[in-house]
Amino acid sequence: MAPLVQIDNLRKEFGNVRALDGVSFDVDSGEWIAIMGPSGSGKTTLINILGGLDTPTSGRAIVDGTDVARLDESGLTRFRAEKIGFIFQQFHLVPYLTALENVMLAQYFHSTTDEREARTELERVGLGDRLDHLPGELSGGEQQRVAVARALINHPKLLLADEPTGNLDEANEKLVLRLMGELHNEGHTILMVTHAPEIGALADRRIDLAHGRLAHVPARVGS
Amino acid sequence: MFGRLLWKMLRSNRGRLAVALVAVVSGATVISALLNLQFDIQRKLTQEFRDLGPNIVISAKSGGQVVTPGVTVASNSADLLTESVIEHTLEAHRTSGLAASAPFLFTVARVAGTPVVAAGTWLDQLAKLNPTWRIQGHWVAARDDEDQCLVGRKAAQQFSVAPGSQIGLDYLGRHSQLRVAGVIDSGGDEDNQIFMNLPAAWNLTGERPYISLWQLSVSGTSASIGDYAAQLGGALPGYDVRPIRAVTQAEGNLLDRTRLLIASMVVLILVLTALCVLATMMALAMERRKNVGLMKALGGSIARIMALFFAEVGVLGAVGGLIGCVAGVALAHWTGERVFNASISPRWEVFPLTIVLMIVVALAGALPLRLLGKVKPAVILRGE
Repeated sequence: MAPLVQIDNLRKEFGNVRALDGVSFDVDSGEWIAIMGPSGSGKTTLINILGGLDTPTSGRAIVDGTDVARLDESGLTRFRAEKIGFIFQQFHLVPYLTALENVMLAQYFHSTTDEREARTELERVGLGDRLDHLPGELSGGEQQRVAVARALINHPKLLLADEPTGNLDEANEKLVLRLMGELHNEGHTILMVTHAPEIGALADRRIDLAHGRLAHVPARVGS
Repeated sequence: MFGRLLWKMLRSNRGRLAVALVAVVSGATVISALLNLQFDIQRKLTQEFRDLGPNIVISAKSGGQVVTPGVTVASNSADLLTESVIEHTLEAHRTSGLAASAPFLFTVARVAGTPVVAAGTWLDQLAKLNPTWRIQGHWVAARDDEDQCLVGRKAAQQFSVAPGSQIGLDYLGRHSQLRVAGVIDSGGDEDNQIFMNLPAAWNLTGERPYISLWQLSVSGTSASIGDYAAQLGGALPGYDVRPIRAVTQAEGNLLDRTRLLIASMVVLILVLTALCVLATMMALAMERRKNVGLMKALGGSIARIMALFFAEVGVLGAVGGLIGCVAGVALAHWTGERVFNASISPRWEVFPLTIVLMIVVALAGALPLRLLGKVKPAVILRGE
C-alpha cells in the first residue's frame, strides 16, 4: 500500500533563507510521527506545506495522492477542508463562538453542519458540559481539546499538530497527550511537532530536522 | 450556520459597528428627509404657485377683448367667447386639480364721467382665483348677486368710495348703481378696476352671453397643467387655451434647481457615509486578520468568508437605513413646518430607496474587507 504522505526532495526558501533543503521521507497511514529539532530547523514550515498553508519552492509533498505543490488557491482550500486536521500551539479558536460553534465552523467550511455530531465530538474529548462556553471561559487544556475536536470533526486523513502541548500545564499536557494516543490507537495518522523528547518518545517514529535538513530518520517500527 | 455566525459576528463587534451604524443612521436620516422633501416639494411648490393666481387662460384666437362702447358684438364677436360653451366644455373635462375658474367680460365704463375698466365675473370665485389678494370689507359669496361689486384700491381712492358706499357706472346710456362690498388690494392692474358679477355686467353692456376670457386655477406640475390646457384646447378648437407661461416656467425652473440641489446633497452625504463606514471597516479588517487566517486554515473559501463579512455590512446598512428612514420622516416633517410652513407627508417609496442606498453605501465602505482575502494563514497563525 502506498504511503499516506510522500515527501520528496522538498525545498522552501524565504528570500535568501533556506527553511527546508531537500527533505525526503514517507509516512504510512496510521503512523504517529514526532518532528523534532531546534527552533528555525524548518519543523513548522514542513507542517505548513503538508497542511496546504504554504507552498514549497521545489520538490513534492504528496498527501493521500494529492501533490500539494501543484494545487492552486482554491485547490488548497478544498485540500485543507477535506484532508487535514490542524491542532495549533495557540489553540486558535474564534473568540466569539462557543466551543460547539468552533467545532461546527470546521463543518461549515467543509460541507454542512451537524450539531449532533459536533456535540458528540466534544463529549468524546470530555467537554460535554462546556458546549456553550466561549474560549475565554475555558482553561488552556479545555481550549486545546476543543481544537482537537474541531480537527477531527471532518474525519481528516492527516492530523497536523504544531506543539499541541506547548502552552499547557503539566496536567493538561497529559490530558491532551492521552487524547493523541487514543486517536493514534483509533488509526489516525498524526504528524506532531514538538521540542520535548519525552513527548517525541510517545510517537512511532521521530524525524529530526536541523537547518532544514533531515538529521535523523529512524526506520519504521517493525521494519 | 451562516445566520448563527453572522449574529455572533455582529454581537462581538458591536462597539465598532455601532460607530458605523451611527454614520449610516445619520446619513439615512438626512437622505430620507431630503428624498421626502424632494418628492413632496413638487406638491408644495405646485400649491405655492397655484396661490400666485390663475394659470390657464381661455380666450379668443386673437386674444381676450375689452368690450368697447360703440362697437357692437355682431362686428367683433370673433374676439369674444360664449360663456355657456366654455362652461359646458369645462363640465365635460373636469379635473380634480381645478381649484377655481371664472369667466371675465371686460368693458370700459364711466364713473361720474371718468373711464374705468369694469370686469364682469363670478365674484364667488375671485378670492379662490387670486389667493394673494387682500380685501377691506367682504367678498361677495354669490355669483348671481347683481347689486354688489368689488372695487380696486386705486379706483376706490379715485372715486372716493369705501365698503358700504354706492357707486354708479354708465355705459352707452345704460346705468347701474352698485353697493361696494369690499375694496381689493391686488398689487397689480386690478387695483384700478371694478369687479361685478357677470349678470350685472351683461345688464350694463347688453353683451349677454359673451365674455372676454376665462381664467382657471389648476393645481399640478407645469407639465400636467400644460397637458390639461392642451386637452381643453382640443375640446375648444376655435379658442386659444394656454397656460400662463411665467408661472409654470418659474415653477419648472425652481423645481429643477431644487431637485439638483437635493440630488447633490444626497450624493455628498452618501460619499461621507461611505467614508465613515470605510474608516470603521479598515480598523475592523485589521482586527479580523487572525480570524480570517484561521478560517482559511480550516478550509474556508474566500467567497464564503467574504460573504459573511459583507452580509454583516449589509445588515448594518439595512438596519441603519431603516432607522434613518423613520428619523428622516420626522426631520422632513420638521423641515416642512419650518421652511414651507406646511406638513410634509411621508412617501413610502423613500423607505426602500433609502435602505437600498444605505446597503450599497455600506458595502462600498466595506471594500477594505476585501484585503482580508489576501491574508496568508501561515503568516497570521505564526503570529506575524
